[in-house]
Amino acid sequence: MNRVFMALVFLFLYAPILVLIVFSFNAGSSNSVWTGFSFGWYRELLHNRLILRSIYTTLLVSLLATVIATAAGTFAAIGFFALRRRQRNLLNTVNNIPMMNADIVTGVAMCLFFVAFFGLWGRFSLWFNGVQSLVTLPTRLTLGFGTLLIAHVAFNIPYVILSVGPRLRQMDRNLVDAAMDLGCTWMQAFWKVILPEIKPGIVSGALTAFTMSVDDFIISYFTAGSSSSTLAMTIYGMTKKRVTPEINAVSTLLFVSVLLLLTVNNLRESWLERRRAMGIERRPLLPERISGPRRAWLRRGLAAAGAACFVATVAFLTGATNAQPTVNVCSWGEYIDEDLITQFEEETGIAVNYQTAESNEALYSLLKSGAGDYDVIVPSDYMISQLIEEGMLEPLDYGNIPNFSLIDDRFKNLSYDPENLYTVPYTWGTVGIIYNRAAVEEPITSWSAMFDERYAGEVLMFRNSRDAIAIALSYLGYSLNTTDPLQLREAYQLLADAKSKGVYQAFVMDEIFQKMEGGNAAIGAYYAGDYLSMAENAAEGVDLAFVVPEEGSNWFMDAMCVLKDAPHKAEAEAWINFIASTEANLANMDFIWYASPNAQALAEYPAYYEELYEEPLPEETYEIMAAPQEVLDRCEAYVSLPPETRALYNALWTELGI
Amino acid sequence: MSKELICLRNLCMAFDDETVLDSINLDIHDKEFLTLLGPSGCGKTTTLRIIGGFATPMSGDVLFDGVRINDLPPYRRQINTVFQKYALFPHLNVFENIAFGLRMQRRSASGGRAERIPEAEIRDRVMEMLEIISLKGFERRRPDALSGGQQQRVAIARALVNRPKVLLLDEPLAALDLKLRKDMQIELKRIQQQVGITFVYVTHDQEEALTMSDTIVVMDKGSIQQIGTPEDIYNEPENAFVADFIGESNIIDGLMIRDNLVQMYGRQFPCLDGGFAENEPVDVVIRPEDIDIVPEEQGQLAGTVTNVTFKGMQYDIIVDFRGFKWLIQTTDHSPVGARIGIKIDPDGIHVMKKSAYSGMFGDYSSFSDEYDELDSAAVPEDPGEDGHES
Repeated sequence: MNRVFMALVFLFLYAPILVLIVFSFNAGSSNSVWTGFSFGWYRELLHNRLILRSIYTTLLVSLLATVIATAAGTFAAIGFFALRRRQRNLLNTVNNIPMMNADIVTGVAMCLFFVAFFGLWGRFSLWFNGVQSLVTLPTRLTLGFGTLLIAHVAFNIPYVILSVGPRLRQMDRNLVDAAMDLGCTWMQAFWKVILPEIKPGIVSGALTAFTMSVDDFIISYFTAGSSSSTLAMTIYGMTKKRVTPEINAVSTLLFVSVLLLLTVNNLRESWLERRRAMGIERRPLLPERISGPRRAWLRRGLAAAGAACFVATVAFLTGATNAQPTVNVCSWGEYIDEDLITQFEEETGIAVNYQTAESNEALYSLLKSGAGDYDVIVPSDYMISQLIEEGMLEPLDYGNIPNFSLIDDRFKNLSYDPENLYTVPYTWGTVGIIYNRAAVEEPITSWSAMFDERYAGEVLMFRNSRDAIAIALSYLGYSLNTTDPLQLREAYQLLADAKSKGVYQAFVMDEIFQKMEGGNAAIGAYYAGDYLSMAENAAEGVDLAFVVPEEGSNWFMDAMCVLKDAPHKAEAEAWINFIASTEANLANMDFIWYASPNAQALAEYPAYYEELYEEPLPEETYEIMAAPQEVLDRCEAYVSLPPETRALYNALWTELGI
Repeated sequence: MSKELICLRNLCMAFDDETVLDSINLDIHDKEFLTLLGPSGCGKTTTLRIIGGFATPMSGDVLFDGVRINDLPPYRRQINTVFQKYALFPHLNVFENIAFGLRMQRRSASGGRAERIPEAEIRDRVMEMLEIISLKGFERRRPDALSGGQQQRVAIARALVNRPKVLLLDEPLAALDLKLRKDMQIELKRIQQQVGITFVYVTHDQEEALTMSDTIVVMDKGSIQQIGTPEDIYNEPENAFVADFIGESNIIDGLMIRDNLVQMYGRQFPCLDGGFAENEPVDVVIRPEDIDIVPEEQGQLAGTVTNVTFKGMQYDIIVDFRGFKWLIQTTDHSPVGARIGIKIDPDGIHVMKKSAYSGMFGDYSSFSDEYDELDSAAVPEDPGEDGHES
C-alpha cells in the first residue's frame, strides 16, 4: 500500500516534467499529439539567438556569482565561527531569513534598492562632475548585468555560509592553534589547515550556489533590467504566446543540467563519506614521485593555469556580451521576424538586446519605475502622445533615417505626433473579434457577442483597461476617446455585469493565442494580425474567423521611438532605419501578419507572398491584415487621455477586480 | 635543577569580567617536568595558552630566557604544544603531520637568505621521531585510522620534531582509557628524559601529576595554591584544598597548643610541626594510611565503624568520631558497627594554617558519593566549543 502511495507521489511530482521531456523530442509542433521522434527542436535552439545569448548570460552570471559568493560566504562563515555562541546563533538565524524569504520580495526589494541608489548616484555624480573636471563619472546608471550579478551574489552567500558553517563546527578548534604552534601565520594556517578541512563544505556550497543561480527566475527578472536576460527569463518570455516544443527542449536542457549538478554533488558527498569511513587516503592529484619543491611549483602551476582558464572564460563571455556596440529594444511578443535581428547585427556589428513587454500600460510603468532601460520602444499611438507629453521621448534625427521617406504619407504626421518629430511607424492594424465558427451558432458581427450570456465561460476579454473599456464604449456607440465619466461608468457597468454573469473565461493578453488555437475558448477580442497567426496554427476542428464589428473598433499604429537620453541613440536610429526598409517590412509583414506602413511593402506583399509560398495570397487574408478604407472609416484611433480620465480608467479597472 | 627558562610575573587574565588568573608568579626551570594541577576552571589551561602564545595576559609578563615574549605570536616561539584531543591534521597522513612544522621552518642560509629544510633532512628527522614514538611503518596512515594512543604519540612527535626548548601538554592523556593512560605516563616520562627538554603538563588528575612530575603547581580559582615536588605536595600540603585534592585526607579542626603538640577532640596529640602561635586554630591533616586501628581502650580516640569497602590491597573503613567521619585505610578487617580505637604517630600528623578552604573538605560523611566523584574526575570533560577551559 505504501509503495502504491509512493509511486503515486512520484508520478504526481514527475509526470509534468516527463511529458515536457518527451514532447521536446516530438517531430511535430503539437504538445499533445506525438508525431515521431526528432532532435529538430534542439537543432532549432542552436539557431535561436535569443536563447543562445541568454544561455551565455546565465552561465556568466552563475559562474561569477558562484565564485564571488563562495569566497565571501566562506570568509563570512569563518567570521561567524569566531564569534561567541549567542551572537553566532543570532547571525545564523539572520543568515537563514533570506533563504526563506519569498523570492518576489527579495527581487522587488533589490530592484527598488538599486533604483533608489541610482537616483542618489545621479545627483552625486552631477555634483561631483560639476566641482571638478579630472574625472567624469557616469550620471546614468541602469539595471543590467552588474545589478543582476550583485543580486545573484547576494542571494547565494547564505547558501555558502549554510554549507560551510557545519564543516567549521565539526573542525577541531585546536587545529588552527596547532598550525600556528608549528610555525604558520594565521593566513598560512587558513590555507594549509582550515581550507582543506572545510573544502567539502565549500565545494558543495559552490555547487548549491551555482544551481540556485542557474535556477533563479524571479530575482533575476527584477534586477536584470533590459539589457540582460537569463535563460529562465527568456523561457518565461517565450511562454507568453504559446508553448512551442522549442521551449520544451530548452526547459529539458535546464532541468537536466540542474539535475546533473545535484547528482554530482550528492554522489560526491556520499563518496567522500565512504572513503572517510574506510580510512582510505585520497589519491593525490600529482604522482607521488614528484615531491618537494618541484611538487609545490607544479601545484602552483596547475592552480595558476586553472585561474587563468577561469579568467579567460570570464573575459571571453564578458567580451562576447559587452564589447560590441549595442542597442536595447523593447517591443511586443512575437512582433518581429528574428532573422532581421541577426541580419542587422551582421550588417552593422551592433548587438541587439531584444526584450518584450506585455502591454502599453506595463511598458509605461516599467519606464516610470526606472527599470526599463531601453533605447528603442514600440508603443502604440495613444501611449506615444502620453510619452511625448511627459517629455520621455527623444526627437529623432531623420537625417539618419532615410527610409522614413518610404512610409506611406497616410501614416505620417498622425495626431499622436503631429509634426512627426519622434516616431517612425512600425505596423498598424485593427482590433476585432476572433471566434471559432464551430462553437457559435451564427456568424458574429457585433460587439454584443462579448457581453452575451449565451457564451458564458467562452469569451476572452483584453487584460488592459484601455482596450477592454474601448470595446464596451464601441458597443454603446460612444467615442473610444470619451472623457465623459458617465459614459465610462456605463461602459464599466457593462463589463462588470458580464463578468459577474460569468461571460468571461479569462482576461488575457498573449495567452489568447493558445486558448483560441486549441479551441479552449469560442470568442475573443484581439488584433487582426494575431488572428492570422492563430488561424495558421489552429488545431484540428477549430475554425477561426475574424470580424471588425459593425459598431466600429479601434485602429492602431505602433511606432518606433527613442527614449530620452538613450545611451545608444546612433545605434537606435540605425536600427529604426533598418526596420523601416521595404525588405524588413516585407519580412515582418510575412512573419507577424500586421500591416506595414511602408507604402511599397504594403503594395508588394501579395506578390511577395506568392513568390515565397507559390500560391496566391487570399484576398480575405490581405483585407484582414491591411483593412480597406471602408473598414478604417468605421474605426477610431486612440488619443492620449487627460490625467483625470486616466485616473478614472485605473479606478474602474481596479473596481472590476482583474 | 638548572636556571629558569620561563618566568611568569604577576599574570592576570579575565574573560567577560570573570577573573581567570589572579597574579600568577611561576618559574619554570630548564629540563624540568612541571605539572599544572587543578580542577577544571582553575586557570591551568589559560596559563598554558599564555605560555604558548595563544592568549595574551591582561597584565603581567611572560619571560623566556629573560626576554619578554608577551606579544610574540605562537609561530615565533621556541615552544610547541600537544593539544587536548591531539588536533592532528585530518587531511594529512602521519608523515606529513609530523613534517608539518619542519616544512614551515625557514632558517637563514649563507647570504642571509631564508632557506627551507631540505627534503632529505625532513625525512630523517620524521623517521627519527617515528622511532622514538614506536610508530615506524605508520607513515602513510591517516590520523583517523590510528588508535587514540597512536594519535597521541603522533601529536607528541609532531611537536617534538621541531626541537622546541619547551613542550606544552594540555591534558594529553585525558581521552585515553585507564590502562593506556598508565602506559603513556611512563612513555611520556621516558620521552622527556630522552629528548631532555622542559615539559609543562596540564592535568586535573593528581595521580598523573604525582607519577610524572619533577614539580607540581597546584592551582585553584586562578591562584597558585602550592608549588613543590610531588613528595612536598603530598606530605606537606599548604592548605585544606591541596590536602584534599592530592590523595585522601581527613582534615580536622585543631588547636596548636604549642610547637609539636596539637589538640583535636579535646585530646592532645604529639606532632612534628611548629612555628604557630600558641593556641592558634589550625587544620590538621591525617592521611588514611597513617592511622593504626587498635582496640578501643588503647586508642587515642574511639569511634564506630559505619562502612567498610574492600579495595583489594586494603579496606577503606569509615569511622564516626563524634559526628565527624574519617577514612582509614587498613589491611585489618573491622565489621560495621564495631567500636575501635585509633593511634596516630607524630609523623602522621600534618598541621596547616587556617585558610579560606578550612571546613570545606576532609569529612567523609558522604563517603560513597565523594568516591564516585573522584573516580569520575579522571574522565575528561569537554570544555565546550565556546572559549577554552580556563
